[in-house]
Amino acid sequence: MDPATSAGTGRSCPVRRLLLLLGPALFLILLLFGGGLLLGLFQALGYPPLSAGSTSGLGHFQQVLGDADFPRSLGLTLYIAGTSTVVAALLSLVLALALVNWAARSRLIHFLLQIPLAVPHLVIAISLLLILSPSGLLSRLGSALGLVGSPAAFPLLVNDPFGVAILATYIWKEIPFITFMLLAVLKNIGSELAEVGATLKASRRQRFLHITLPIIAPSLGAASLIVFAYAFGAFEVPYLLGQTYPLTLPVWAYKSYSDIDLLSRPEGIAISLLITGTVLLAVLLAELLLHSSRRREGGR
Amino acid sequence: MAQSTPRRIRRRFAHRFQAALSCWLLLLFLLPCRPADSGEPPDWQETLTAARGQTVDWYMWGGSPAVNSFVNGYLAREVQSRFGITLRQVPVKDIAEVMSKLLVEKQAGKMRGGSADLLWINGENFRTGKSHGLLYGPFAERLPNQRYVDWRKPTVASDFGTPVEGLESPWGSAQMVMIYDSARTPQPPRTVAELLDWIGANPGRFAYPAPPDFTGSAFVRQIFYHASGEVELWQGEYRPAELEAAAGATYTILRDLKPFLWRGGSTYPESPVRMNSLFADGEIDFSFSYHQGDASRYILDGLFPPTVRTFIFAEGTISNTHFVAIPFNAQDQAGAMVVANFLLSPEAQLEKARPEVWGDFPAIDPGRLPPEWQQRFADLPRGPATLADEVLQAGQLPEPPSTILVHLEKGWQQQVLKQR
Repeated sequence: MDPATSAGTGRSCPVRRLLLLLGPALFLILLLFGGGLLLGLFQALGYPPLSAGSTSGLGHFQQVLGDADFPRSLGLTLYIAGTSTVVAALLSLVLALALVNWAARSRLIHFLLQIPLAVPHLVIAISLLLILSPSGLLSRLGSALGLVGSPAAFPLLVNDPFGVAILATYIWKEIPFITFMLLAVLKNIGSELAEVGATLKASRRQRFLHITLPIIAPSLGAASLIVFAYAFGAFEVPYLLGQTYPLTLPVWAYKSYSDIDLLSRPEGIAISLLITGTVLLAVLLAELLLHSSRRREGGR
Repeated sequence: MAQSTPRRIRRRFAHRFQAALSCWLLLLFLLPCRPADSGEPPDWQETLTAARGQTVDWYMWGGSPAVNSFVNGYLAREVQSRFGITLRQVPVKDIAEVMSKLLVEKQAGKMRGGSADLLWINGENFRTGKSHGLLYGPFAERLPNQRYVDWRKPTVASDFGTPVEGLESPWGSAQMVMIYDSARTPQPPRTVAELLDWIGANPGRFAYPAPPDFTGSAFVRQIFYHASGEVELWQGEYRPAELEAAAGATYTILRDLKPFLWRGGSTYPESPVRMNSLFADGEIDFSFSYHQGDASRYILDGLFPPTVRTFIFAEGTISNTHFVAIPFNAQDQAGAMVVANFLLSPEAQLEKARPEVWGDFPAIDPGRLPPEWQQRFADLPRGPATLADEVLQAGQLPEPPSTILVHLEKGWQQQVLKQR
């Protein structure tokens, strides 16, 4: 027996065991999520028809895609999810690099990072509402200290067209998450590679760009993707802190789904499926990007 | 086998006989304890028996602390001690969410074992539920306490233009009132027209929740009555063109109002809870509530300053009756009916009407009660901000049919919010 096959069987055995161990959980996830998605798809396609004369087929999707609000809502949702992800990722990168030495020495930083992870988005959203709204803490403090003329002169940060409070919530919430993921990788690579780079006279910038970044890129990408997918599909934060109009896609889906007119329910489901589709597309794109970059690294 | 000798059988029989006898004796003792005037139909006894030990999940709007503490406190305690029923409040933002769920369950063929047993339902959702067969019943006429209800009253016989037909049971009634702070606004406007002028003269100091929020939608209907100059017309036969014209005039008024609203109309409070906190924070000068007793409640809770008062428009404000319904697939139907019946009892109605509890209008007609109960209702103290019953009742306008309500909500989205 040549070593290659024996190594192959040696590897397949744990795979089978892994499947056996993961099987029950995987089955449940596939059943609940896959089944839910499938049922949703059926309803969005109008099966079974709610009443005579309701549309079936792709009618609901066409209606949503053809709605004048759709590009606006999609743009707003992409803006919120994209901006918060990019800002959170950049800040986390800086934070992780700054903290890595400290994190290697003590576990305190891990503990500190875990605290915000346990706080629900909803709590942060409400807190920001209390702090940032025109009658909130900050504006009262500002007017008491004479920084702004009156509470009404305080800049609009909640329910504003730029979604400042929404972005703040997501960024505040996601920085610890991404930092946590990055620290785990950074701690494991140690300082040897960077030291080798230094002996080869690589500058700080070169060491960062050619050693550190390629190593943490997969984790950074994966963490950002999770954050993006969450922010793209989450409902509660834009519902509380966003404007009445335009709506983000998840809020629009909720409004259609809970409309008095039960016939607009399939539209709500269609919007939700479009959200799911967009997120899947993002995952696919990210996979492709990572793959091609890895191949380039390998080919070098 | 060998033990089943005739003697043993006889002894066992004797035991059973004794047990049955003592049961009957116990019943004889208990019977006189029951109120003599209950006059309950025989099948009601069966309902009471079936209801014992059940857990009733009451899905209801959970946005009012007063209602929540009434339901979870007094009501839960009483139905537990009187009927052995565990009452669980399930707060929702909008009962339409539950109607969606029921529709899915109906499609999926889940005809029993549903999680919701009792619903606090509003007119438009009642119409949806009735037309899709999502409600159990008719059950209202089987409730013994419905004899206190005046079913001839139009606001009880039909819910937003949809005939009730025993599919829901009333439990209270409410009227829209405007809320203001007499310290800030000593002379509030007294008609809708005056209010509109006031908003124009004081930009940024008024807001209303965005429909389809229940309270915001009620405000739009109030403007609709003002714009059309009609109330009775919408109760009967009207031509589609008349509705279009009146709705168009309503949207024009609200569009013109937009630049003068809070934040220039760029955004709206998402709920009356938010509007009330804007009012309490001094960002806006008026709030309003589809409940005459809310403002007093909020003063007692310390959320509003004691100078807050309410008023109704000279032309009147809209009012309605609130109802409970039972879903078609409720697991604990008997328990739900017992709770619905207890809600109509003089005790529960009086407790609910006390200003420090909720200050809700009774759903029963106190004139049908024994004199001592009539006196208790007459002796109820009023909250500091609640108007007198005579003032309120003199200005009650009926709700338009729910078709008009839905029409206005959709139209508002398109013509006022999005300005198409």
